[in-house]
Amino acid sequence: MTTTHAGTAKKPGISREVLTRLVEIVGKSGILSAREELLVYECDGFTIEKNSPDVVVFPTTTEQVADIVKLCNRHEIPFVPRGAGTSLAGGCLPIGGGVMIALTRMKQILEVNLRDRYAIVEPGLVNLHLTNHLKGTGFHYAPDPSSQGACTIGGNFATNSGGPHTLKYGVTVNHVLGAELVMPDGRIVTLGGTCEDTPGYDLTGLFVGNEGTFGICTKVIVRLTRDPVAYRTMLGIFNSVADATQTISNIIGAGIVPAALELMDQGIVEAVEAAFHFGFPLDAAAVLLIEVDGLEVAVDDEARKIISICEQTGAREVRSANSPKERLLLWKCRKQAFGAIGRLSPSYCTQDGVVPRTKLPEILEFITATGTQHGIRIVNVFHAGDGNIHPILLFDERDADQVRRVLLASDAILEKCIEMGGSVTGEHGIGVEKISLMSKLFTQADLDVMALVRDGFNPTGLCSPKKMLPTAGACGTEHVERTSPGRRAAM
Amino acid sequence: MSITSPQRVPQPATQSDLCDWLRANATVERHAVVPVGGGTALHSGNTLFSDCVHLDTTALRRVIDYPARDMTITVEAGIRIAELTALLASENQRLGIDIPQPALATLGGALASNVSGPRRFGCGTMRDAVIGLSAVDAGGRMFKSGGRVVKNVAGYDLCKMLVGSQGTLAVVSQVTLKLRPRPETSGFLCVPLNSLGAAESLLDRLTSTATRPVAVELFNGSAAAELSTNWPHSSTARCWLCLGFEGMEREVLWQFQAVSDELRTLAASEFITAIGDDATRLWAGLTEFQVVSPQIPAFKATVRPSRVVAFLEQAERLGCSFASHAANGIVFGRLPNSTKTVDAAAAMIHPLRACAVAAGGSLTPFCDDAWKMSLGVFARSSPDVELMRTLKKQLDPAGLLSPGRIFGDI
Repeated sequence: MTTTHAGTAKKPGISREVLTRLVEIVGKSGILSAREELLVYECDGFTIEKNSPDVVVFPTTTEQVADIVKLCNRHEIPFVPRGAGTSLAGGCLPIGGGVMIALTRMKQILEVNLRDRYAIVEPGLVNLHLTNHLKGTGFHYAPDPSSQGACTIGGNFATNSGGPHTLKYGVTVNHVLGAELVMPDGRIVTLGGTCEDTPGYDLTGLFVGNEGTFGICTKVIVRLTRDPVAYRTMLGIFNSVADATQTISNIIGAGIVPAALELMDQGIVEAVEAAFHFGFPLDAAAVLLIEVDGLEVAVDDEARKIISICEQTGAREVRSANSPKERLLLWKCRKQAFGAIGRLSPSYCTQDGVVPRTKLPEILEFITATGTQHGIRIVNVFHAGDGNIHPILLFDERDADQVRRVLLASDAILEKCIEMGGSVTGEHGIGVEKISLMSKLFTQADLDVMALVRDGFNPTGLCSPKKMLPTAGACGTEHVERTSPGRRAAM
Repeated sequence: MSITSPQRVPQPATQSDLCDWLRANATVERHAVVPVGGGTALHSGNTLFSDCVHLDTTALRRVIDYPARDMTITVEAGIRIAELTALLASENQRLGIDIPQPALATLGGALASNVSGPRRFGCGTMRDAVIGLSAVDAGGRMFKSGGRVVKNVAGYDLCKMLVGSQGTLAVVSQVTLKLRPRPETSGFLCVPLNSLGAAESLLDRLTSTATRPVAVELFNGSAAAELSTNWPHSSTARCWLCLGFEGMEREVLWQFQAVSDELRTLAASEFITAIGDDATRLWAGLTEFQVVSPQIPAFKATVRPSRVVAFLEQAERLGCSFASHAANGIVFGRLPNSTKTVDAAAAMIHPLRACAVAAGGSLTPFCDDAWKMSLGVFARSSPDVELMRTLKKQLDPAGLLSPGRIFGDI
């Protein structure tokens, strides 16, 4: 499969007739078709693989989405939905060009019902905007990926997004009651609803995480969560990564479920300090951001237990946030950690592996050893509480040999995760980036059954083609062997 | 709810034997098959064909892996709930889902039936606890989904697809669960009420309570009479609102105090508390109420929580006894003992179903096989049902697994 970059000549994939019809559906201001306008849409957060859509449309209603999909079916044009394009796995990559259906103009909050604890929102609504809208009501929307200032609820639905609070509160699928979708053949369906236990199959649960391969989400019914009454937020400071990972293991093993448990190693702390001056110790090998929430009468006890465990595993110091302001500051440094990476190197590549919690010390050691072996610096910031690691491999993508070594190191880490009984993706999704790993994680039978399910909903394969599942023998997957991973670091 | 003379029962000893049996059946005999664990949910769904072979899963009960410090466990699906509960308790852990008839019910059966109890408000249901599984399709092909870690988005979430699928898509053979620590103690604060209307104002107030109940149970006097072996108090209250709390003892006692202060302002005047062993009996009673017996037609309704009281008022007018997980909108009801004919049952089921549907939900009756056609078990037809049929056709094209159980015709 060829990656197409801006400026190269390209055969037009959409006929004038289809273009005219699309303008009829979404209006002239709802369509982009000029080559230079399409640049932004040729990749998402996974910037190495690029392909331009033939046209991008911006529907504002479900009916428009359905009409677009039916038009694509009539003319056998592939189509792919897109939210904010924050996918880190190429979920929005328009393979084969076609029509990109951007949901960003469908961003309304349609209903908020606190008594029944749900909200109905359009897919283009930014995640953080929902929680901000709920401020003061005593409720919030629990799944809070670090990209929540940009990512959309529809995108969260498609990838079953996580974030730092999944340890206690679960992932997106645990907070979705239902959804409206336009199916790949243009039918509009509603899954689930505002009530629990819809009779029949849990289609809502099956569809969350489908990465746009089952259809296009046009409404989401989300569960709202009570705000916790009280928080205790701590920062454990450790002289070795091993001590920090052992602490995590011990906290979980003691039957404590913190609301969040995040690890940052020395490399990331250096970058974060240089960028934001939070006052983190630069010589600590690792820091652990730990938060418990609950009733005022309970949180002090939990915090005490955690501090005691930290001290037993050799924490140099445990700091506590003494005010909401201090708490927010601690969280800010975690959530903006990725933004600080540009100080460390021109390019970086992050992985999204998962291991059982008790294997964290082992995988972190392996990551260090792998970095040494391949001569690549690797820093770590991740959701330690649920075993979801984010090793960040630092390199310069202009150096082909570094690129080669980064690929080797990445693969070694993910294969080790599989070997330890984990997963290759905790929250970013398979997209196109990790298709080649699917056959290492799953048997052919597993993949065949998944294909059966997908083919039932998306028989023509026009909706989000060539995503998530390997296509046996077909041209189109070679690029995912990743000739050049990495991402230009945000400055 | 009798299944006329089930065939003699194959009982595969290993998951591999399970695959072999299903493969052979699909190739040669092509019997319709229903997987059966404890046999506690056979009444559920449309009538099974009388020549349906019962496939006994209870020999598949091994513990595959229990890394307690990871708070996950992987077990074969035929393990009895009581055995699983005891095993987890030995590590001070639990599943957090209340499952009735634990000595009989199997994990696979509970998963396939999506069974839950009063703790669903605080702890969620099977879809929140299952992080991985293996299953075998009608042709004997084993497949897996998810994994052994609590954070995993690789591939489609077929675990969710199988929860509640009632043996119509595949036979679940092995399950990985996310576990929870056992709380130090649990307790109930119970409020006797003179009317359901009074309950509504309390439920509304509870949306903003400073406490965090894990169960919100509303049941009427006739249900309390059935819970009587488990119910510590005799009282002639019209209905009861019982709030379940868990955690450290200090935490539970604080919440008793705080919530009674909140509700007292709404003219709730009497509060009865039970903690520890006393509470255990009430948890069990509230969990077991959903168990149906062949003689008494019953139903499960789902409605929006704000419509629970209106629905219950209608059920009460018809003389039903009921217990509900009021904050989740889940109601279990029993038609009055005097309901002896299918017409009498229909005269209640149809309006109750209409009421549930108008409240955004649904109603599923449990009754003698002979009545199921008239009362309508699944009774839904909307575009998403077509997707369900598609799924069924893709995974079981020959229609061998529990045919007719959900949709009636496939």
